[in-house]
Amino acid sequence: MTSYFSFAFMGVLLPLTILAYALMPRRARWAVLLGASYVFFWAISGKLIVFVVASSLLTYACGLGLSALLARRRAYVAQGMPRKEAKRRTARWMKLVVVAGVLGNFGILVVLKYLAFFSGAATSLLALVGISARIEVPSWGVPIGISFYTLMAVSYLVDVYRGTTKADRNPVRVALFLCFFPQIMEGPICRYEQTAQSLWAGNPVTRQNLFAGTLRILWGVAKKIIVADRLNLFVKPVFSDWQSYDGSVIALAAILYTVQLYCDFSGTMDVALGMGRIFGVTLPENFRQPFFSRTASEFWKRWHITLGAWFRDYVYYPVSLSAPMKRLTKGSRKVFGNRYGPLVASSGALFCVWLGNGLWHGAGSQYLFFGMYYFVLILLGGFLEPVMQRVSDRTGLNRDAVPYRAFQMLRTLVVIFVGELIFRAEGLRAGLGMLSSIAHSFRPESFVDGTVLGVGMDVHDYAVVCAFVLVMLCVGIARERGMDVSGWVGARALPIRWVVWMALVVAIVVLGAYGKGYVPLDPIYANF
Amino acid sequence: MDEIIEILEDLRPGVDYATCTTLIDDRYLDSLAIVALVAELEDAFDISIPAVEVVRENFNSVQAMHKMVTRLADEF
Repeated sequence: MTSYFSFAFMGVLLPLTILAYALMPRRARWAVLLGASYVFFWAISGKLIVFVVASSLLTYACGLGLSALLARRRAYVAQGMPRKEAKRRTARWMKLVVVAGVLGNFGILVVLKYLAFFSGAATSLLALVGISARIEVPSWGVPIGISFYTLMAVSYLVDVYRGTTKADRNPVRVALFLCFFPQIMEGPICRYEQTAQSLWAGNPVTRQNLFAGTLRILWGVAKKIIVADRLNLFVKPVFSDWQSYDGSVIALAAILYTVQLYCDFSGTMDVALGMGRIFGVTLPENFRQPFFSRTASEFWKRWHITLGAWFRDYVYYPVSLSAPMKRLTKGSRKVFGNRYGPLVASSGALFCVWLGNGLWHGAGSQYLFFGMYYFVLILLGGFLEPVMQRVSDRTGLNRDAVPYRAFQMLRTLVVIFVGELIFRAEGLRAGLGMLSSIAHSFRPESFVDGTVLGVGMDVHDYAVVCAFVLVMLCVGIARERGMDVSGWVGARALPIRWVVWMALVVAIVVLGAYGKGYVPLDPIYANF
Repeated sequence: MDEIIEILEDLRPGVDYATCTTLIDDRYLDSLAIVALVAELEDAFDISIPAVEVVRENFNSVQAMHKMVTRLADEF
């Protein structure tokens, strides 16, 4: 078993889990979910399962510690102590416990995922000052989903510390919250309040949830197998051997990789949310038609939504609302005004967010560059917005008119394609080299002289991709206009529902890129 | 409430703050405006607004902000 898209998972583990869950008495259904989650984890990461168990125990213990300190604070107040004094007496211990929990979780992540990168960087630095020393570090491998469940564990601890979530006294519920198998591989990054109780509730498998859940799973599998896996035929060779191709082929590879990444990641999210639905658990949405964004900033509110929300709540606001940054905001507002003042002060918090976002994706220079790329673009967007507003006021330009919105969307798409090219490139140097190729050796004739068709995909492959992307575009437009597409299908008469369901099955079987000549793409975000 | 409306008018003019109940949902106030607004509210009402209070429910309308400010002033 390597992912949700393997036969062992879709054909064996998932159906057996649903069956066992439905047959089990309601109060014991959590055991089926936890058992299936650990089997899935073990099948992919083997002995590394010990790390997710360690994170769960640490998170649970620190949550209990925080809960005890909060109870002591309340007892002080009940005894008549002023609230401020009660807070002061417990604050230091609470900080100590939450920091221990957060550092413990991040510590495991750093050791398993980033140690090799940091030791390599240290070796290079030493070489720069003339010291020839190679720092060897042990490598245990990286457990599946560690970047996702670590952020979830940290959000739980911080929420308990802040008093917005009650610490759970049940260690098994904390463990299930962290490793629920539909979300463990690629998220979404859930908050405790969103899923923990419904995971434990043992909600029945209803016919409605089973239909809606399997429909969503099929939609996700179709995106992955019909589009993402097929595009690998073109994307992989071009990115692996980009020096052999001209700029036009590389530009097309950047566009197709973006489509591939979206179909792979959002397809996996559809599968995750569909599985959650079957068990009566509503996982948060991670995508909202990201390619309709008008700015880079908006793109990140529509793409990997739960990661953006995590950085907003646990990095951006805590940094920008810290005492020194508040002072800076007030001071800079006086000097630079209402628009630029907060922007100047917030740039420090934004930098932390994008440095974290880049590093979260991986310990490579291209990921750091990717983070800084969006930091600069979003900051620039913030500075230019008042200028654009003034220009439109003076010229009478309607910024909500369709042509202007289309221009903004196209501009944002170019920004996204460049970002994803750097993101996918095999190292920063390769990424910059590919961009340089696009600028200096762009040959439009490659699209018609057979060069493009000579790389992996034939006319049939392009036709299938275009047809399915068109279907996705129609669904995206409907959703953008506020239509609940799956709800609409679910409300139709039974024959229509079955036609849609079967059409997806047939599309996957007939058009899926599997079998001879195809190599399935490992889910991209599972590596982060 | 008038004082909060005054601060908001100064920060991002052109919105009917007295009646709007979707200031965050409809993106009248972005994260930059929120950071500046928090600093202004703290100064005006002599309170401290921690990051945990920066949630949609507390900033979607002037009424919600007033409720939060009153609560924090009482706690302080």
